[in-house]
Amino acid sequence: MTDYEFSEQRDGLTRRQVLHGALTGGAMLTAGGLLAACGSSGSSSASASSSAGSSPASTGALKSGGSLSVGATGGGAKDTIDAHLPTADTDIMRCWNLYEPLAVRPPSFGPLEMMVAESIEAEHGKADSWVVKLRPGIEFHNGKTVTADDVIFSLQRILDPKDPKVGAASIGYVDIKNVKKLSASSLRLPLKFANATFLDDIGQYFNAIVPVGYDPAKPVGTGAFMYESFTPGQQSVFKKFPNYWQTGKPYVDSLTIIDFTDDTARVNALLGGQVQAIDNLPTGQISQIQGNSALKVLISHTGQWQPFTMRVDQAPFSDVRVRQAMRLIVNRPQMVEQVLSGQGRIANDMYAPFDPAYDTALPQRVQDLEQAKSLLKQAGHAGLTVQLTTAPVFQGVVQAAEVFAQQATGAGVTVNLQKLDTGTFYGPNYLKWTFAQDFWATREYLPQVAQGSLPTSPFNETHWADPTFLKLIAQARATLDETQRDDILRQAETIEYNSGGYIIPYFSNQIDAYSGKLGGFVEAKSGFPLGNYWFKNVGYTA
Amino acid sequence: MSRFLLRRILLGLLTLLLVSIVVFAATQALPGNAARAILGRNATPARLAALTLQLHLNRSVPSQYFHWLGGLVTGNLGTSAATQQPVSQLISGRIANSAFLVFVSAIIAIPLSIALGVLMAVRRDRPTDHILSTTSLALASLPDFVIGIGLALLFATNVTHILPAVSLIPPGEHAWNVPKEVILPAATLIIAVTPYISRIMRASMVEVLESDYVTMARLKGLPNRTVIWRHAVPNAIVPAIQVSALQLAYMAGGVVLVEYVFSFPGVGAQLVDSVGNRDIPVVQALAIIIAAVYVVVNLAADLLTIVVTPRLRTAGR
Repeated sequence: MTDYEFSEQRDGLTRRQVLHGALTGGAMLTAGGLLAACGSSGSSSASASSSAGSSPASTGALKSGGSLSVGATGGGAKDTIDAHLPTADTDIMRCWNLYEPLAVRPPSFGPLEMMVAESIEAEHGKADSWVVKLRPGIEFHNGKTVTADDVIFSLQRILDPKDPKVGAASIGYVDIKNVKKLSASSLRLPLKFANATFLDDIGQYFNAIVPVGYDPAKPVGTGAFMYESFTPGQQSVFKKFPNYWQTGKPYVDSLTIIDFTDDTARVNALLGGQVQAIDNLPTGQISQIQGNSALKVLISHTGQWQPFTMRVDQAPFSDVRVRQAMRLIVNRPQMVEQVLSGQGRIANDMYAPFDPAYDTALPQRVQDLEQAKSLLKQAGHAGLTVQLTTAPVFQGVVQAAEVFAQQATGAGVTVNLQKLDTGTFYGPNYLKWTFAQDFWATREYLPQVAQGSLPTSPFNETHWADPTFLKLIAQARATLDETQRDDILRQAETIEYNSGGYIIPYFSNQIDAYSGKLGGFVEAKSGFPLGNYWFKNVGYTA
Repeated sequence: MSRFLLRRILLGLLTLLLVSIVVFAATQALPGNAARAILGRNATPARLAALTLQLHLNRSVPSQYFHWLGGLVTGNLGTSAATQQPVSQLISGRIANSAFLVFVSAIIAIPLSIALGVLMAVRRDRPTDHILSTTSLALASLPDFVIGIGLALLFATNVTHILPAVSLIPPGEHAWNVPKEVILPAATLIIAVTPYISRIMRASMVEVLESDYVTMARLKGLPNRTVIWRHAVPNAIVPAIQVSALQLAYMAGGVVLVEYVFSFPGVGAQLVDSVGNRDIPVVQALAIIIAAVYVVVNLAADLLTIVVTPRLRTAGR
């Protein structure tokens, strides 16, 4: 049975879990409720994620001690250990283990878990100002207690207008000049506009809290592991932070992250026992690893998506009928099979599948070449020829372009592929390509809209600026009541579903592998490999 | 002789200068600059502007080139755009590792292939020759990475686990202190170059063994060993020296693939990474060093050829 055939059931379960979680937490997130829900208040054997019945069995008893080496993809000389500048996967891996933001979504992609903060609440029931209370007694690696000043310093560093960091694109609307310290351990964050899902924007791994005077050459955070050494493109060595606020974690004494440039070398290192876990197992190797009793494959059903992007302000895609026709050309099950070797779930041209507002009532789009031809004819584009700009920006993207070009011939559409290297693709013409591709991580609906579907978004590839849509988004942002907000969001989604510029054929699985001696790895719906890279939850079972 | 040497050194320097211009021009022709390559997807206009300024990418192209050339002459290779570390510091460990790998491979591969070539020639058209010739032809037709993967399969991952599958040399550690990590990549290089040298050696040895003076030596009753090693080999070795030099130079650049397969921390991985990052100072430094190896190795081979060829040795006088 291929993966996408049972994906709907699995997906449904997930969504219910998320919905359930969201009702207990939602916009009134407090640490009390969350801590109870996540069981992280002191019990040493509980893993951070309570969900994921489909994840590999992480048998209860994890032993303390031992060292863990992880083989990672995508590192190089430009690697950084700066808390606020992660770009490559290895940077992100380091960030998840050294640093922590105020709150963050766990691997299950359930409600945000409080990390450095104890609670983040909308002030006076309005979404334009938020009060943050810090977790009592939480310490940095250097022994200093985290204070409101550290939070303010971190936000100022991220939003530095002269040197904006990665997070500036997500929390640029924080009114940083008017941030107010209320006490040593609490502060008020006013926003430039109301945003009910502010937590999702601030609760990102790259918005980590670092101490005043933070120097990336001597990295200090509140994460489960402390810095020991770091060599760009080669390896990073961290050791256990004994005063980590989650008592009993991490399990292992040391964590070594080793960069690999080649897939074969990474898999060989796992097979040879030189590393105990690797990210991004090539799909071709799944059966080999599964056949090896000493190793385990971790398959995560994520919300990450790799869309085709059609510019809605440029011919021929400025005609909505052409966009609709292109979406009808795609044979999604075939694409999942051919591009992902079955490792994914078909999608419906909409993103944020784990958002409670994700509209499952909209009919699943299926290939309809006759309808596509007829729409193109009406638009005066029968026998259309288009150029699709593609690059290996994410695994499977170029193959997806090839499959699409082949499927398009069925509707009499000629797709010429312009294949570029990643550097050129993200060069000066990025966000200007008429018809191209891109990749996105798992996000909830409003945070994703902020990243890619507004005229002010940093990555609006499709130049989407539908006036009704924009009005709905502004309205939803100011609505704290979740049921009401989801209703508004579904209207916005419907507009994108009917006339948007994205073709979203599938959500791809994240596939990693690890040694059978380890326990604690859970499926990460977030799409971050190896269970959000949360090695604090990982230990040896024997 | 010394005039010949001087001329060759000057020509070598000219070659290196031309290489540096070509490499610089090529890196300029690559789309995108270091700031974009480093930020990747996160290249928002504000962050891009900040980094461009930090990396001095706003200077003109010739000014960037002459700045680099001036540094080179004074022994300063500049600063890496990607890491902001001095290039020399960044690449010295890598160069040492790669040089060690190439050196170990060469010191085994060259005598081994010469011996094999002689053996094949002496046993010409007998089973030993047939087996060795066929095997070496088969190995020569395999790409380096296939050999590497095959060796890893045999010794590290599937069949046995006696050697490390990848060369995890800790940063700051030198390859010669962890010899176990070097065995598989070195074996790969040895298997990759041995067939070429041994086949050339065999061919030229076969020719020499048929010559009149070898027959003469045999008729004089000299022992077989003396005939082969004192009389035949010195005359047959010149083509092998030349092809060894080419193979050595190939190893200096072609070590890239082998390093990739074994994640060996050498210049190969560094070069690939730096091109991806548009880290021009590092690309330039590595290109110059690899080119210099070509020049030096070829010069050494020519000198060695002269030394073993009396006719050439006296020609210059």
